Amino acid sequence: MITYLLTIVVLVLIAPLLLDFIKAFKMLLLYKRPVSLFQGYRNFAKLMQKETVISSESSAITRVAPFLVLSPLLVTLFFLPPVVQGAFYVSFVDAFTITGLIALSTFFLMLLGLDSASAFGGMGSSREAFIAALVEPAMVLTVFSVSMMAGDLGVGQAGVNLAAHFPKEHMASFLFAAISFFILLIAENGRIPVDNPETHLELTMVHEAMILDLTGVYLAIIESAASVKFVIFASLFASLFMPFGLQYAAPVAFGLFIVKLFVIAAAVAVIEVNTAKLRLFKVPNLLGIAIVFAFLSLITFYVLGA
Amino acid sequence: MIDFLIGLFLATLIVALFTSRLYRLILWYSMNSLILGLLALFMGTALDDRAMLITGIATILIKAIGIPYLLKNLGAKFHFVRQIQPEIKVQYAIILIPAILVFTFYLAEPITHMIHGNANYIAISISSLFLSLLLMMEHRNVAPKIIGFLSMENALFLLGITATDGMPMLVELGIFFDLLMAIVVINLLFHNEEANL
Repeated sequence: MITYLLTIVVLVLIAPLLLDFIKAFKMLLLYKRPVSLFQGYRNFAKLMQKETVISSESSAITRVAPFLVLSPLLVTLFFLPPVVQGAFYVSFVDAFTITGLIALSTFFLMLLGLDSASAFGGMGSSREAFIAALVEPAMVLTVFSVSMMAGDLGVGQAGVNLAAHFPKEHMASFLFAAISFFILLIAENGRIPVDNPETHLELTMVHEAMILDLTGVYLAIIESAASVKFVIFASLFASLFMPFGLQYAAPVAFGLFIVKLFVIAAAVAVIEVNTAKLRLFKVPNLLGIAIVFAFLSLITFYVLGA
Repeated sequence: MIDFLIGLFLATLIVALFTSRLYRLILWYSMNSLILGLLALFMGTALDDRAMLITGIATILIKAIGIPYLLKNLGAKFHFVRQIQPEIKVQYAIILIPAILVFTFYLAEPITHMIHGNANYIAISISSLFLSLLLMMEHRNVAPKIIGFLSMENALFLLGITATDGMPMLVELGIFFDLLMAIVVINLLFHNEEANL
């Protein structure tokens, strides 16, 4: 139980660090001087001290929505597969619940964007809805197919089963699911081929457009929600698709898990450096590939058993 | 490991179906051949078949490095159209590709009962045969059609090495020569076309 709670706390704490790691690694690859890894914490502290201004046009939603964006994601953290053998975990939560909780958070983020009554907010919200509607079916299919391979519909139990018995005989469908999930990780977190988190250019921004009107504490909450979302996806990827090393002693296994998260972040950074941002109407093509791979992994598993 | 590589083989082919740039398509073809070569090397070590090892090395050298390089050079020489938009829209391709895969997986089922061991490899190679056909169909330009033809050959090669535990070396070398002849013919075709212009 204590490992379980400790894991969640550590995951929340390293969330900004991971995003800063992506940024710093990207700058290093572009021969720039990298930002400090602790910039995220500094930003958070600074935003907490700042005055919070709320637009007079906005309704009560703006006051509650930031908390409702963060809380489903925090709840999702409790349902992740264990990172250490023998740790406590919630076994019965399936793909639909996790996708639903993430969608709930996205829903309130979209409401927040609409509520500010600026042109940018609505635009960002509609784009986010467009992307989220394509991400969700693929995500349900992918997690579902991995859970079928592991022999249990619960995501936590699936992670444990995969670590105990890696499905070597289902390697092909496992690979397709991994490709699909990695595309989803990029799309859902607004990384480069789908959305550029660093610009405020009106043609390209999705996530930034929705939170343009936020200040102070609310902005800090939304920023941490974005980083927690990345941590959720990265740790789902780490425990479902890199299920090794759980059998070591608890500190070693935990350290290995953190290293896996950083490896995923580095992979995302390399992809960001090497690709240009897609046009918004080309995004369905990318997510279409994700859906095809998710479906493919399911049918390869069922029909061929490979 | 062989399962993993076969999965990658199919994955590169599916990604190739969605690309709209010629050089990227050539890159995916080269990856596809590289994985095929690695597959031949792995199966050769598993079966202790020296002929298959040689074919694997030849595949990597010729198909993964030689032919893509040649095609790229040809493309630069004859000014191929580099922006190749698939004729079949992505929305339809998303439906079509899984449909083809399901169809071929069930199609291959009677065959897989006859062969013991790695029966599902046959289904994947037949489905990649159909996907290469789709790659040929969905483009109007000549260069992607060539790539489709070459990946069809890759799929046949995969079928050969997985279904029969290694074809005779002579047949495989014959296929290589066939392929090189095809490239030469295509080259001549382009020369001719240039002369006509």
